Amino acid sequence: MIQDAVEQSITITDPNIRNVPLEERDDIIVCENVFKWFGNFCAINDVSMNVKRGEVVVIFGPSGSGKSTFIRMINRLEEHQKGKIVVDGIEMTNDLRNLDAIRREVGMVFQQFNLFPHMSVLGNITLAPQRVRHMPKAEAEELGMQLLERVGIPEQAEKYPAELSGGQQQRVAIARALAMQPVIMLFDEPTSALDPEMIKEVLDVMRELADTGMTMLCVTHEMGFAREVADRMAMFDEGQLVELGTPDQMFNNPAEERTQLFLDQIL
Amino acid sequence: MTVGVPGWIRTNLFSSPLDGVITIVLAVIIAIGAFNAVNWVFFTASWEVITSRVPLYVIGRYPQDLYWRPETALLLVSVLLGMGWRMWGGLARGFAIAIIIITLLAGVLPYLGVDLSPPTDPDAPPNEPKHLVNAMFILNFVAVAVGYGLAMIPSIGRAKTFFITAVVFFIISAFLIIGSSYIPGLDPVPTQDLGGLTLNLLLAAVGIVCSIPIGIALALGRRSQLPFLKYFCVGFIEIVRGVPLITLLFMSRHILPLTFPETVSIDELYLAMITITLFSSAYMAENVRGGMAAVATGQTEAARALGLRAWQTTIMITLPQGLRNIIPAIVGQSIGLFKDTSLVFIIGMLDLVEMGRVTIQGNLDFVDDGHEVYIFIAVVFWVFTSSMSYVSRRIETALGVGRR
Repeated sequence: MIQDAVEQSITITDPNIRNVPLEERDDIIVCENVFKWFGNFCAINDVSMNVKRGEVVVIFGPSGSGKSTFIRMINRLEEHQKGKIVVDGIEMTNDLRNLDAIRREVGMVFQQFNLFPHMSVLGNITLAPQRVRHMPKAEAEELGMQLLERVGIPEQAEKYPAELSGGQQQRVAIARALAMQPVIMLFDEPTSALDPEMIKEVLDVMRELADTGMTMLCVTHEMGFAREVADRMAMFDEGQLVELGTPDQMFNNPAEERTQLFLDQIL
Repeated sequence: MTVGVPGWIRTNLFSSPLDGVITIVLAVIIAIGAFNAVNWVFFTASWEVITSRVPLYVIGRYPQDLYWRPETALLLVSVLLGMGWRMWGGLARGFAIAIIIITLLAGVLPYLGVDLSPPTDPDAPPNEPKHLVNAMFILNFVAVAVGYGLAMIPSIGRAKTFFITAVVFFIISAFLIIGSSYIPGLDPVPTQDLGGLTLNLLLAAVGIVCSIPIGIALALGRRSQLPFLKYFCVGFIEIVRGVPLITLLFMSRHILPLTFPETVSIDELYLAMITITLFSSAYMAENVRGGMAAVATGQTEAARALGLRAWQTTIMITLPQGLRNIIPAIVGQSIGLFKDTSLVFIIGMLDLVEMGRVTIQGNLDFVDDGHEVYIFIAVVFWVFTSSMSYVSRRIETALGVGRR
């Protein structure tokens, strides 16, 4: 019984959507002329961008370009001040019900993992399903163990975050976000705080996640990952969306000089 | 090259002629001081003013036929120490052994002809040993053993069970010592008869235990969006923190009752408890607020991103981590409050310090100036406070406070 329920909820996204051409899919995120200021500083300057269901978008650009701010607006960790953001049909407003609904749809993974240090690994994962989705404890733990297996560390369930390596912590953070069964996952530089030998294990998990048909927005400078997994790439600079295109376009034939310059610097 | 003790002495104490002179002068001064101190402690000082008044310093003029009540409370403490011994060893073991030795002495000495509270009238017959009182003292080692045994049961030997037991035992102990007119068989003890170290410990324990929940509530109120709640909490905290405890105690006794109807009167003991609790709560609230502010913002963001509501984030994420951050501050405050409880003399209560002053005044015939009494009191306070800070350091290490 529990097994079936968990099995159903864990596969909320449809892997087959990866075979549907982008043009035929619906928009899951719509941003129209979005602005955001920190005081006088314009962090997001007139950004419009649509993301298709099941699409993987890699966002890159120099530091301070607004790429983190942009994805943090998708689940309203940052508030936009002008323009329109619609996530899976729900418009981002100050209405708390909308906000709750959007936060249930959108999972997020942070650069610094942000695991809860006073809870075990399994406790971290089962907290939100129990408290937000009111899932019974046994079911939440079953789900938690399945997710830990999916990210490859079921044997760490009873440990505390501080006892894990950085790569393992980030995989727990991914499992924790997935436990809310989101349809969109946001990654804010998920590998930047990791030692080089641990980056691959996290990217592997993200790659598998992309194959399940999850819609993903990743702020990352892992260009190998971008080339291999991303459907489109978005270049941000000075709060503006400079260029949006397929990895092929970006790497081989960027339309903007700024994109070319930045890629030359990091590749 | 500096090798061994002679080498160390040469480089550190006699590296130049001036250094040598300073070293010798200081050594002479220290030697004279040490000689005088030792001479005073062992030959000049008359410790009888303390040894013949032990019950007064421990528990004031508590009725002797009710001694079983504080002794039962002491047995409960021994059970807890036994549990702690089994669960953590180390310091808890030290305390348990200390309490066993002290209580054994207290129980056995009367049979060896040592009377710790002789009658003040020289013509009165000497006290007979009180068998029940002594037997209950001696039983403490059994209580330690019981606690140790209980903690061997896996479902009981856990930190959570320990803390719940400690709180329950604390409430029972407080009722046993103070008594209540609502509980048959536990007649209230007159406030004037409750004193000594027990009063200090009781007031400090009540103050700290009760001020933690109130302090948390005030801290959360201060962070609240509701203006009335917020400014009420800010006002309370800032006013209470801005006034010395001794003033608050004085006002609670002499000014607050002016606002009561004439039929209402609150016992000094409860006034002291309430005042000390509220005083401590204001400081606790600021500790809690600081502890919560120190929790990384990423924690709140992660919780919000998971869909937890603001109050859930506070209760489940920020508050537990904040409280863990402030364990050292809570212990520091406990130490301060324990020492501050001696201020209740201002409302006429006989705590350890005031009891010392009173015994000096009442025994001028065989006390010169009472230095012995104050030194004894200082040592007692120091033993308790330094144990508390040692416990705090151990807890910090165990919980990894300061590590992330």
